Amino acid sequence: MAERPGLFTRWNQARRADGLALRRALPDRLLPLLVAAMTVLAALALAGATGAQILSARWSNGAASMLTIQVPDPDTPTTTAGTTTHLTRSDAVLAALADSPGASRVHRLDKAELGALLAPWLGQDHDFALTLPAIIELHMAAGTQTDATALARRLAAIAPGTLVERNAEWGERLGRLADSLHSCALLAVAIVAGIAVVLIAATTRAGLAARRLPIELIHAMGATDGYIAGRFARRTALLAFIGGLAGSGLALPILVLLSRVAAPFAAATPAPTPASSADWTMLAHTLLATLPTPLVATLLALAPAAALIGWLTTQATVRAWLRNLP
Amino acid sequence: MIRLRDVGFRYDAAGASGASAPVALRQISFEVPQGGFRWLLGPSGAGKSSLLRLLALTARPTSGTLEILGSSVAQARRAALARLRRRIGVVHQDFRLLPDLPVFDNIALPLRLQHRPEDEVRDEVHSILDWVGLASRATARPPQLSGGEQQRVAIARAVIHRPALLLADEPTNALDEYQANRLMELFRDLSGLGTTILVATHNDALIRRYPAHELELAQGRLLRDG
Repeated sequence: MAERPGLFTRWNQARRADGLALRRALPDRLLPLLVAAMTVLAALALAGATGAQILSARWSNGAASMLTIQVPDPDTPTTTAGTTTHLTRSDAVLAALADSPGASRVHRLDKAELGALLAPWLGQDHDFALTLPAIIELHMAAGTQTDATALARRLAAIAPGTLVERNAEWGERLGRLADSLHSCALLAVAIVAGIAVVLIAATTRAGLAARRLPIELIHAMGATDGYIAGRFARRTALLAFIGGLAGSGLALPILVLLSRVAAPFAAATPAPTPASSADWTMLAHTLLATLPTPLVATLLALAPAAALIGWLTTQATVRAWLRNLP
Repeated sequence: MIRLRDVGFRYDAAGASGASAPVALRQISFEVPQGGFRWLLGPSGAGKSSLLRLLALTARPTSGTLEILGSSVAQARRAALARLRRRIGVVHQDFRLLPDLPVFDNIALPLRLQHRPEDEVRDEVHSILDWVGLASRATARPPQLSGGEQQRVAIARAVIHRPALLLADEPTNALDEYQANRLMELFRDLSGLGTTILVATHNDALIRRYPAHELELAQGRLLRDG
């Protein structure tokens, strides 16, 4: 008995001469173009999803785990039971905060930091006539629950008038907003994928209609549904992969630009602007490094995902169509 | 072998269904043993082509039971039907050659669908091209061939994989007497090797030259089996 030929040989034989003429059934221009456009849209939506996820994590783990304490008259000595001590009010509060359970970092804003904070309202001049309150940031360790009311009571006993502002509430609100944006972005990706499925199915059905006679003939000669569906699906997957690659390439500069704009919010370092055209080659590597890792992975996965969607959609479409044959 | 029991077939024409659809075959019953040869006779519209369609598994009976090469068609899964079809050769009245493919590739189709090695395909196709006298037309496309040449290509394609069941609808229509006689000799050889053969024809001279068991149809009914 003759040895069964290898997979590639069988594929090549079939590709050459089974009469399906898939180049005519599924032209190589329209489908890659449509898939490229869908890929760009998907890449943008996924960038939005990734950005929202990063912001959500940052706001939840950063701002939400921080308390801001205002100490009026920070340089005035504290008094205990009517007796003046050598500690200033701010030093006393700092000492109390350092002993707080779960405190990971206590930082008093210096004059420059205060100036920067107030610059939008008071300008760049840092010589204030009024004595400003001390602003202290209390960073809590991850997972630590802080009773802000109890802390405020304790600090007020040490330095009356001290205010404790809990940032977690804002952090949670911002986190919920980011989560909503993330969900919307994923919904957009799902819609884009759905449109891609409809487009590929329509293109495949047009191809089937165009090659109806050869399909019926080789079906009558014993070609299985799997063989015919596989031939169409491989062609669609290839065209979708090419479209996916083109779309990813088009989306890359847009995503890098967005990444640079969003860097301050995500605390990332923006990529350097090239000094000359000679730097562009090196910049290409830097650009990918600039993007968040999940986004790079997603971008690299877009073309294979497009090919998979194309393959699965075509398989389903062709097999459903072949059900009309006996 | 093939076996039919009360087989009926109704075309599911556009807009017609159920009782209003045109009936092509009614209560057809006969058997052909392995290696048997049958002439399929009857006037145009008698149901010969419909019967060949059922036997070629390109249509399903609407009633009765049909057994092809030992398998019941009604109970067979799609993959099993595909395997059965690969054991059947069909010469269509209108040839049904693929105009995009050269003669060589048209004839090679059944072998390639069986995933035969390409060397074997090449040898088999060249051998049968010699036999049908078209060795010099291997690279031509069907529209470039005469009617007789196209019919010889269709015959070559139907027999190249040595089918267990061969169905031919007016296979000598476009052939001269010499070619028709050679074809009948081929059918006789294949039958001797175990291929079951049904040939639909109006060619009385051919039937007289090659007398065999006859199945005669009229208005979708089997009038004679003998």
